[in-house]
Amino acid sequence: MHQSERRFAMAITMPALLVLLLTTTFPLGYLIWSSFQTLNLAMPFLDGFAGFSNYVEMWGDSRYWHAMQLTGIYTVSSVTLQVVIGLGLALLVMQIPRAQWVFRIVAILPIVLAPVVVGLFWRTLMLAPNFGMVDFLVQWLGFEQINWLGEPIPALISVIAIHTWQWTPFAFLVFLASLASLPGDVFEAARIDKANAFQRFWHLTLPLIRPAIIIVIIMRAMISLAAFAAIFAATGGGPGTATEILNLYAFKTSFVELNFGYGSALAVSLLIITMAVSAMLFRLRTARTVKPQ
Amino acid sequence: MTQAGRVTLRGINKRFGSFTALKNVDLDIKPEEFFALLGPSGSGKTTTLRMIAGLETPDEGVIEIAGKDVTFAPPGDRDIAMVFQNYALYPHMTVRENIAFPLKMEKVPAKEIEPRVVDAAKKVDIDHLLHRRPGQLSGGQQQRCALARAIVRQPKLFLLDEPLSNLDAQLRLQTRVELKKLQRSLNVTAIYVTHDQEEAMTLADRMAVFFNGEIMQIGTPDEVFNRPDSIAVAAFIGSPPMNLLPAQLDGSQLKVEGRTIELDRKPTATPMAVTMGIRPSHIRIDADGIPARLYLSENMGESVLLNLYIGEHLVKVRANENVSLDDGDIVPITFDVNAIHLFDAQTGIRIEN
Repeated sequence: MHQSERRFAMAITMPALLVLLLTTTFPLGYLIWSSFQTLNLAMPFLDGFAGFSNYVEMWGDSRYWHAMQLTGIYTVSSVTLQVVIGLGLALLVMQIPRAQWVFRIVAILPIVLAPVVVGLFWRTLMLAPNFGMVDFLVQWLGFEQINWLGEPIPALISVIAIHTWQWTPFAFLVFLASLASLPGDVFEAARIDKANAFQRFWHLTLPLIRPAIIIVIIMRAMISLAAFAAIFAATGGGPGTATEILNLYAFKTSFVELNFGYGSALAVSLLIITMAVSAMLFRLRTARTVKPQ
Repeated sequence: MTQAGRVTLRGINKRFGSFTALKNVDLDIKPEEFFALLGPSGSGKTTTLRMIAGLETPDEGVIEIAGKDVTFAPPGDRDIAMVFQNYALYPHMTVRENIAFPLKMEKVPAKEIEPRVVDAAKKVDIDHLLHRRPGQLSGGQQQRCALARAIVRQPKLFLLDEPLSNLDAQLRLQTRVELKKLQRSLNVTAIYVTHDQEEAMTLADRMAVFFNGEIMQIGTPDEVFNRPDSIAVAAFIGSPPMNLLPAQLDGSQLKVEGRTIELDRKPTATPMAVTMGIRPSHIRIDADGIPARLYLSENMGESVLLNLYIGEHLVKVRANENVSLDDGDIVPITFDVNAIHLFDAQTGIRIEN
């Protein structure tokens, strides 16, 4: 009886487990295996076990360190912007007595777009020279024309802005829900205790929505680190390597240069970084704030 | 005479959409008075308190605290303290930080804060809990923490919004006594919102009885209990409240349920329809009385509460002696003539002797 129940349980979970294994565990294992191989379709006669040589090569690869740096800048700035702008918008919308749902719906729109579409939309409609809306606006305001996607710094700013535009609504929605669930009488008590608006924000709102802020940072950081489609569509990592974050570098190495061994090593390094950052942030989430007395 | 702690409301009106929350509310609360705002839920007592706190603004009328017009002043400028029904403690702060918060906001020097926090905590017996967070406290302890946070700044006016309603019955009785003692020892004015008339009767120096956004009566607990101004107050105060029976007043004779009772009062010129009120403890079982049928008798421990029907009118009688009666028995009752209250049947207003 017990035995047959267990067998039945195995039978019904097996298909799902198999699919998971095939789609996640196996590719992951294959990626790690590849990273220890020389696997280059351009020079197949050199293929074979490579030991740590891909990783050693990475250590001395200036393009890798450049990509790392860009990944850091991209992630830190886009997550910071999402949290700050998202929280600002949520606080603003909370002041609106009715029709908050309008903002919720509008906020969902960018999120449901495919990142490729977002990248193309910004490249062609917003940032393109002469007829892009942003370009038009900049010139209309009397500034010099900027080649947004053609110059290194503006291009980096642009891809960060694109990511922020698409994902700030997510932060906004989480913060809005979190703010709406805050206890009203606590804030009334603070008003009676002579706390001004800024003090109420600093001493009450921020600490009370801290869990939401940390969750947003964790989720957005993981996605930012592994961002790809929008940048690929908008700049392709260019001009030069100005927006080539680690993920793009790994992609190009593997699928443009067809150097799968080295590309895999790059991807593994990104995986390790993502896991390390997430672990760090999760620890932050569970840590209790111990304040000095 | 000092004005600190005096609260005056004049002609306060407040509407929420089409709902009229307060109609022409006038109040004058004296310094160091314990003043209760009593009424059923939705009667406007909490709205009145929130206006005094500055959490709501009236549509019309003037609010003065300590002789100063504060009608539109923000809560922080009124020098008040408030204890909320759900305590409204800052959940992420320790008890110490909670109590210190008003002082911190007032920019009290750091070295003065600690002794004042400890002092306030001692007054409500929670000085051993200062390191805890609200979530780690029992309901009674949270309540004390809220009280400590209110008294630490030493304002002259305390607003209390049903502060005992979330405590269990035994703790409520105990805290009630302590609350009154605390108010006395601090020499402050306390305005206390409650729907519990027993709380209002025991705590208050004076009280205002609210109904449907209006104040029906202001007076000492004695006055409100013994001389209710209207049928509404009579039907609300007392547990159980006064019995109300339709009657006819003719000269100095009161005709009720087919009997005539001779009252010691000035005769009226013309007969009028009245409502007679009499408390359950002012009705006696008497062989010559009006026959009433026993519907149910409730044992209250110290007394027995008899639910009787005279015709179709339910009358509650508090019998102190140990009566042994069965449901359906006929019980003759008489009214204590000196304890009869009369109200105009049309207007509901008390008719004086």
